[in-house]
Amino acid sequence: FYFFLVQSLDPLPMHGRDLGVHPDDLIEPPEQEQESKQEILENKDVIVQHVNIEGLGRTKEDLLGYEISDVFHAKSLIDVMKRAHVARLRLLRLGIFKDVEVLIDTSEGTDALPNGLDVTFEVTEIKRLTGSYNTMVGNNEGSMVLGLKLPNMFGRAEKLTFQFSYGTKETSYGLSFFKPQPGFFERNLTLNLYKVTGQFPWSSLKETDRGVSAELNFPLGVTSHTLKWEGVWRELGCLARSASFAVREESGHSLKSAVSHTVSVDSRNSAIFPSRGALFRINQELAGYTGGDASFLKEDFELQLNSYHHYCYCGLVLSASLWGGMLYPIKGQPSCIADRFYLGGPTSVRGFGMYSIGPQSEGDYLGGEAYWAGGLHLYTPLPFRPGKGGFGDLFRTHFFLNAGNLCNLNYGEGPQAHLQKLAECIRWSYGAGIVLRLGNIARLELNYCVPMGVQSGDRYILRFTQICKISVI
Amino acid sequence: MSLAAEAFVSQLAAAEPWPENATLYQPLKEDQILLSDHASSLAVQAYLRMCGLPVQVLCRVNSEFMSPSGKIPFIHVGNQVVSELGPIVQFTKAKGHSLSDGLDDVQRAEMKAYMELVNNMLLTAELYIQWCDDATAAEISRPRYSSPYSWPLSKILAYQKQWEVRRKMNAIGWGGKTLQQVYEDVSQCCQALSQRLGMQPYFFNKQPTELDALVFGHLFTILTTRLTSSELAERVKSYSNLLSFCRRIEQTYFEDKSS
Repeated sequence: FYFFLVQSLDPLPMHGRDLGVHPDDLIEPPEQEQESKQEILENKDVIVQHVNIEGLGRTKEDLLGYEISDVFHAKSLIDVMKRAHVARLRLLRLGIFKDVEVLIDTSEGTDALPNGLDVTFEVTEIKRLTGSYNTMVGNNEGSMVLGLKLPNMFGRAEKLTFQFSYGTKETSYGLSFFKPQPGFFERNLTLNLYKVTGQFPWSSLKETDRGVSAELNFPLGVTSHTLKWEGVWRELGCLARSASFAVREESGHSLKSAVSHTVSVDSRNSAIFPSRGALFRINQELAGYTGGDASFLKEDFELQLNSYHHYCYCGLVLSASLWGGMLYPIKGQPSCIADRFYLGGPTSVRGFGMYSIGPQSEGDYLGGEAYWAGGLHLYTPLPFRPGKGGFGDLFRTHFFLNAGNLCNLNYGEGPQAHLQKLAECIRWSYGAGIVLRLGNIARLELNYCVPMGVQSGDRYILRFTQICKISVI
Repeated sequence: MSLAAEAFVSQLAAAEPWPENATLYQPLKEDQILLSDHASSLAVQAYLRMCGLPVQVLCRVNSEFMSPSGKIPFIHVGNQVVSELGPIVQFTKAKGHSLSDGLDDVQRAEMKAYMELVNNMLLTAELYIQWCDDATAAEISRPRYSSPYSWPLSKILAYQKQWEVRRKMNAIGWGGKTLQQVYEDVSQCCQALSQRLGMQPYFFNKQPTELDALVFGHLFTILTTRLTSSELAERVKSYSNLLSFCRRIEQTYFEDKSS
């Protein structure tokens, strides 16, 4: 059999949440080397008299006050160090400093107490304008992304980002403004303005979206929430003259105005190769009550459980996931092809063509109003452990079982009939392969898979493979 | 699909007879369709009726965007979609239905010339009045064109369409014309058609051709559509043989069929 190598790197999200500060980092103890001095000073009471920040240019001081005020509460030297370390990470997390150094010294001057300490943060601000360039390849498509960023635009960690992405299937422009609440970085507001032009060959459809959205992110206990309003002008058209008439009928303009709410709990230790923890995410979207032509209620959820087992000198990771969703048209309006769910392909039910499961017309997939998909994966280290402790550790062997179904429901019938419909004609596949982790943003899979339960009209690929992406069942 | 494959498919389709379920798509008749689109749609309907080909007319808000060329009307026959009169004439010809087979080369060239005249003068004048005359655009064209959409998309689409048509008018040199000049052009065009028609029942005597369908589509629509001013209809009404020509086609091909 033959293999295809495809790699995918997702663009870095335009939000501020990706600054690379993991919650675990915040409780990291200070460096070992300071231990000897600490023994003497550890129990000695100290008072932090002054906290200075040096190197500020356009950053407003009041913003930083929230981040570093905790240092004043330190009672002992080791406490000062711990709190200063945490404050340093909090400052870096804002994404407005290139570097932050901490200096702790005894207080000087007329009002200096004998046990008084001064803490000084020496910061280096990021340039006013930063640029980036990425090339991405994945799922038989490539794209290049140009980005311009104005970090710390008004001096309070606001961020203005412009991104232009040109790809074989998708071209987009986006302007995004990010504003965190001072002192509570996780609570933030993002405003987006975008235009995306995409091609969907599995549906012979092309779509141009021009939209605005406002997004509010905030944590609540262990959960994180996103409240979003989005207004999109959607323009659908046929990709070719040969497109099926069912797709042609969907052509034209529509306006969607939707409010959505997402809750997620993520306790996984990594987004790409989690070995422990669980993810639960539920998303609901209501369109049609804030204006616009599209009216529907859309619910979907994702659940992923990972567990680590030590067996025969090697670590095994067992991962189970379940996805599902339902689209309920309201106000008697039929659902639009752009709102429905699609299933199949290397990120969901492996072995099937990209989004090539379920209702179709003349070879064009029309999507469905309900779906579910599940996966069971077993990851092990490579057999005989070549390249152990180095390059070889980026690879895993991978056995999987995927299943799913996508269909349209008749909402006049009861839940019993719906479940029965979703349980009919289940598509599933099994196989094995090798997974490669690329940095912390992408994975590459090389699989041998056998699709089962293929229904007439489904497109499938026997014995081969592909891959990618961050969110994988 | 490659061009060759597409050509092959249309050849294949040509061999199939005209199906019973052929449909013609146009915008909503009551609230949406504009003068020029109605004229073009009526011309195609008249042509198909003259050929004796049955077609069901369906009104869809997105017909303009469903059409492969972005123009109204288009027909869906079997698994083929064909838009505008010219290509539809070709398409029916491939299926063995033609109105102009009885004409000789000179007549056929003459017919094509008059059809060009109608498209260049009447159709362009209709578009001009709809989108370049501020009163008509504001009172009729923009509200009707945008009627299926919600705010603010309705405004965007209407102004986008207006801008597109105005740009086209500038490109063909109509941008600087006044409304009076456009009415003059319509009169001249009608004059030419009226002279060519003379006392004959159809442009090429006894048998109707696609030219008759096209002229009927435009003149009948102009006569029966209410605009901000009746000037356009008045210009056409001064040619009595054109009026009776319209009435004749309406009675022969539209009233009989519906009763």
